[in-house]
Amino acid sequence: MRDYLGNVPKASSEIFFRKVNFWDKGGRDAPPVFNVDGVSYLYVKDGGVFLVATTRENVSPSLVLELLKRIGGIIKDYCGLLSEEAVRKNFVLLYELLDEVIDYGYPQNSSSEALKEFVLNEPTMLKPSKSKGDALFSGVGKGPTGVIKSILDTSRTEGKAREEIFVDIVEKISCTFSSSGHVQTSQIDGAIQVKSYLTGNPAIAIALNDSLVIGRRETSGSVNYGGYGRGGDTVMLDDCNFHQSVSLDRFETERTLQLVPPDGEFAVMNYRSTYPFKPPFRVSTTVDEDPNSALKAIITIRITPDFGGDKAASGLEVVVPMPREVARVHCELGRDAKSGAAGQTWDWQERARRLVWKFKRVQGGLEHTLRVRATLSDGWGPSIKKSIGPINLQFTIPMYCASRLQVRYLQILKEHKSHQPYRWVRYVTLSNSYVVRT
Amino acid sequence: MSGDGKYFATTKKGEIHELKEELRVLDKSRRKDAVKKVIAAMTVGKDVSPIFPDVVNCMQTDDLELKKLVYLYLINYAKSQPDLAIMAVNTFVKDSQDPNPLIRALAVRTMGCIRVDKITEYLCDPLQRCLKDDDPYVRKTAAVCVAKLYDINPELVEDRGFLDLLKDLLADSNPMVVANAVAALADIRETSSHNLLVLTNQALFKLLRALNECTEWGQVYILDAISKMQISEAKDAESIVERVVPRLQHANSAVVLSAVKVVLLQLPLISDEAAVKALIKKLGPPLVTLLSEEAEVQYVALRNINLIVQKHPEVLSHEIKVFFCKYNDPIYVKLEKLDIMIALANERNIDQVLLELKEYATEVDVDFVRKAVRAIGRCAVTLERAAERCINVLLELIKQKVNYVVQEAVVVIKDIFRRYPNRYESIIATLCDSLDSLDEPEARASMVWIIGEYAERIDNADELLESFLEAFPEENAAVQLQLVTAAVKLFLKNPQPRAQQMIQLVLTYATQETDNPDLRDRAYVYWRLLSSDPEAARAVVLAEKPVISQGTATMDPQLLSTLLGNLSTLSSVYHLPPSAFVTRAAHTPAPSLDNGALRERTTTDDGVAAAAGSSSSGPVSDGAPSSAAAAAQPPSSSSLIGDLLDLDISDPSPAAAAAPVEELVEVMSPQNGKGLGIKAGFSRENNAPVFLLQLANTTQQSLDGFMVQFNKNSHGVAPASQVVQVPPLGPGETAGASVPLTTNPALINPAANPATIQVAIRNNQQGVLYFTSPFKPDILAAPAASPVDDNFFGL
Repeated sequence: MRDYLGNVPKASSEIFFRKVNFWDKGGRDAPPVFNVDGVSYLYVKDGGVFLVATTRENVSPSLVLELLKRIGGIIKDYCGLLSEEAVRKNFVLLYELLDEVIDYGYPQNSSSEALKEFVLNEPTMLKPSKSKGDALFSGVGKGPTGVIKSILDTSRTEGKAREEIFVDIVEKISCTFSSSGHVQTSQIDGAIQVKSYLTGNPAIAIALNDSLVIGRRETSGSVNYGGYGRGGDTVMLDDCNFHQSVSLDRFETERTLQLVPPDGEFAVMNYRSTYPFKPPFRVSTTVDEDPNSALKAIITIRITPDFGGDKAASGLEVVVPMPREVARVHCELGRDAKSGAAGQTWDWQERARRLVWKFKRVQGGLEHTLRVRATLSDGWGPSIKKSIGPINLQFTIPMYCASRLQVRYLQILKEHKSHQPYRWVRYVTLSNSYVVRT
Repeated sequence: MSGDGKYFATTKKGEIHELKEELRVLDKSRRKDAVKKVIAAMTVGKDVSPIFPDVVNCMQTDDLELKKLVYLYLINYAKSQPDLAIMAVNTFVKDSQDPNPLIRALAVRTMGCIRVDKITEYLCDPLQRCLKDDDPYVRKTAAVCVAKLYDINPELVEDRGFLDLLKDLLADSNPMVVANAVAALADIRETSSHNLLVLTNQALFKLLRALNECTEWGQVYILDAISKMQISEAKDAESIVERVVPRLQHANSAVVLSAVKVVLLQLPLISDEAAVKALIKKLGPPLVTLLSEEAEVQYVALRNINLIVQKHPEVLSHEIKVFFCKYNDPIYVKLEKLDIMIALANERNIDQVLLELKEYATEVDVDFVRKAVRAIGRCAVTLERAAERCINVLLELIKQKVNYVVQEAVVVIKDIFRRYPNRYESIIATLCDSLDSLDEPEARASMVWIIGEYAERIDNADELLESFLEAFPEENAAVQLQLVTAAVKLFLKNPQPRAQQMIQLVLTYATQETDNPDLRDRAYVYWRLLSSDPEAARAVVLAEKPVISQGTATMDPQLLSTLLGNLSTLSSVYHLPPSAFVTRAAHTPAPSLDNGALRERTTTDDGVAAAAGSSSSGPVSDGAPSSAAAAAQPPSSSSLIGDLLDLDISDPSPAAAAAPVEELVEVMSPQNGKGLGIKAGFSRENNAPVFLLQLANTTQQSLDGFMVQFNKNSHGVAPASQVVQVPPLGPGETAGASVPLTTNPALINPAANPATIQVAIRNNQQGVLYFTSPFKPDILAAPAASPVDDNFFGL
């Protein structure tokens, strides 16, 4: 869309789309960096939009990808969301932004806040499409806050817009269970995301758990509690990094982050933990011979949500790959009377040989079972159980935090007592790779 | 419709005319709207250059927004309308002295983007002023502008002393200006012969200080500049590392990877071993953290980590778990993780790794499953103590009878046999059970090799081989080669009539009916050996084979060190040296010829050099030492009819030697050939003229289906078959091929230059490429005394 150096063919966007769409005959994703006729193409995909850069040089690919990500973020900050429509409706503004962000291929200024000084165009806001159901937390692409609002609102509309700040603890959890039901590997990738719409950019303070311990356990397994150990309440992280605006003066002593949040959305802190945590879902499967038919097997899948009844997961999807011997399945939902089958569906995808069990909402503590009668092409054999799976779960649990990291308080350090901006602190846990082997 | 989207809406005829009218109105906001429409049309690729003068007329305005739009238009169309673009010069020069720094910078920035010579002349004075501007925003823009100008007109930049002004900016008080100056100098260095970034220690430390203050992008440029400097003092290296290590904690993956590169490059200079150990330990966690990023960033990180662990496995040896594949990883991430898992596998973690690999082998994606099975094989080959466990896993997988898993397993088991001879042969029976499911050449070739190698332990080896031989003519060349060898081994181990019959059949076919020179030559070598001295044949064919080394998959150390020096660049993602894909960079010496692609062709004095038939032709290399080739002579036609095993060769043809062998010359560089580099030449092989090709694939894809054709030429020379016998060329691979030639009077063009032939070569991926190859007609002349059998060599 914008050519800075004029050394790649004009048709390069055409070439790119042909390559990406027909990579390996269209069967799979193209790697994010590839070379065609001496031109390297680098892309990221965000909100259904490809952001592509081309080069003939031996550049730093991470720099290019980070920059593309950032541009995606800037577009979201200015236009509220990133979509083809948003790009089309705001192309003049985006040209203006891109001219400031990049000069002759060098990234210059990539902070949404600092860019405000240089742009003159007004954004055209789009209504979010309602098609995707739950607008909040409906996907990673949109940014976790789900707030569609341009950062220009605060500066241009002097006081009319709502003063507010969002602080979101977003955790993506990966968990692999062995066939015996034990957790084999687990990891939390978390971030504290801030999106600020405060006029005058006041400083804020975010206080985290007192009992936060950062650092990896030594090889022997002993943990350096560093004076913060408080028995079971300790929150332990392997590693973390901070946004450059964060002052860590009070972090070592009070676990408090101080910063002047620039406008726009950004991660105040990213963290990673491989310490064990309580997995929110447990899954068990049993496979039995059907006493009535030699060519049938009965598979029972039981899901146990292991979190409080005051919370609920949304959009739980359980994908069960079936062995080759399974020709057809028939399922019975909600055999246990307590929870019922409301909001549950199942779908047999014959070509992919997998069973998909979906829930609109799963309340904590309520167990669900799915009874599958599978018709087999060969006879019954004990190998059937082995070749089911691995089962994969996808879910979103609002107001749940696997690492138990907490924002103790969020303070806006501003003089005016009368001024009370809205403060939102939210938690959400998303599944990243949640796999149960069988 | 609202917003800018409406500008895309007009598609009526006469649009240009309408725009022209609208641009002339006096009302400012309507005029701005009109310019926006023009830009919209430009964005979607419509040609709006005819209204150039009208747009440029809008340029002189106080409205910054309108000015920016007009500049955008100018950048796009100035090149096609150079004469009209001059109209804009005055405004530019005036703007470059505007009191508003934004306008000054905008003018310089835009002028630099207009690649029209006449305009660049006017750019020099404003640029000179702006390089010394009071406002850092203007200075940083001017710094980049020097690089732009250098690209258009390097002499001008040097004459005007801009390079020195740029170097002065390295010491600027504003870190943003420093970063841009570094970036501009690095860019200029790529094209120029000057080494512009020779820095004094003082300048180096200024840069290191600026590192803390500049933006993340500036940090990357400074780190990359430092990585290209020649540091020789341990003291300097230590202070660089001290300054750079904190960058490893940065949230931007580009900063982290560039910092890792700088630290790794300093390691050899640091003599304190404990310090080196501590540094290496510090690199691990930041690299692992990169894997929490988006898949795209992960991919780049993984390709780099792949290189790092080949040199320093200790960086991540305790972190193997983070490389286990996640369910939702894109396939390109999964495949990279597998490679790193193999590199990090050791005797402590192998059980865990095997458990994972076994799970992967049951997944859906076929390529991923195959790679997982191969990974198990590679673990077996590298980790001797775990080999048995690996084999057990492979056997379990074979029992699941998934076709492609079985095939892949057979291929890796063959390697395991070659690594640990006489240890695990008990599993051969299990392999033979799944013989029927093998339909891929590599798996079939591997199985045939196993049968031949262990013929004495397989009761029905002759039956099994026979079943393969039924379809001999239809087999892939690699399988045919293995069948020939296996038949010979079987015969030597157990000279039963059945084996004798089999070998007769195979050798007859391979010598008489195939047009594959490798196969034919190998068959002749065996034939001659068997007929002249069966004991020698036994010594050669059944010789003890060297155990394959464990490093089959590791990278050439020289390439590895080049790539490590280029960490965090595209080069480290492609695993290719920069010269292989960057066209602008100065030409570096071509990578060393890959093993055996040209084999002895240029060195032997014997026309039948290719007869060795061993090294690169099949997946399994055999014992036949290439010196055996020297003994082989092309048999005369009469002896072909004689009793095979009594083959009497009393008449070694004297003229077989001394065919003119030409050096291959580069006829197409990878730049001109869409990434395919071609060397070509004419020579004689087996007393027949051939066209020799060496194909180097520097593209990112595998190339196959090579075919070649000649234009009509002075001697009517043409390829006997258009198909080039060369295996599919993977990215970065090089292979040689020889194309037998014939002459055809119908193809003579007396007007053509007798010293060259025009050649067209095509493949399935790139289409047709044309080049001209030097030609010496004397390769056509058969040595006078040679008893050439036309039926055989005429092809």
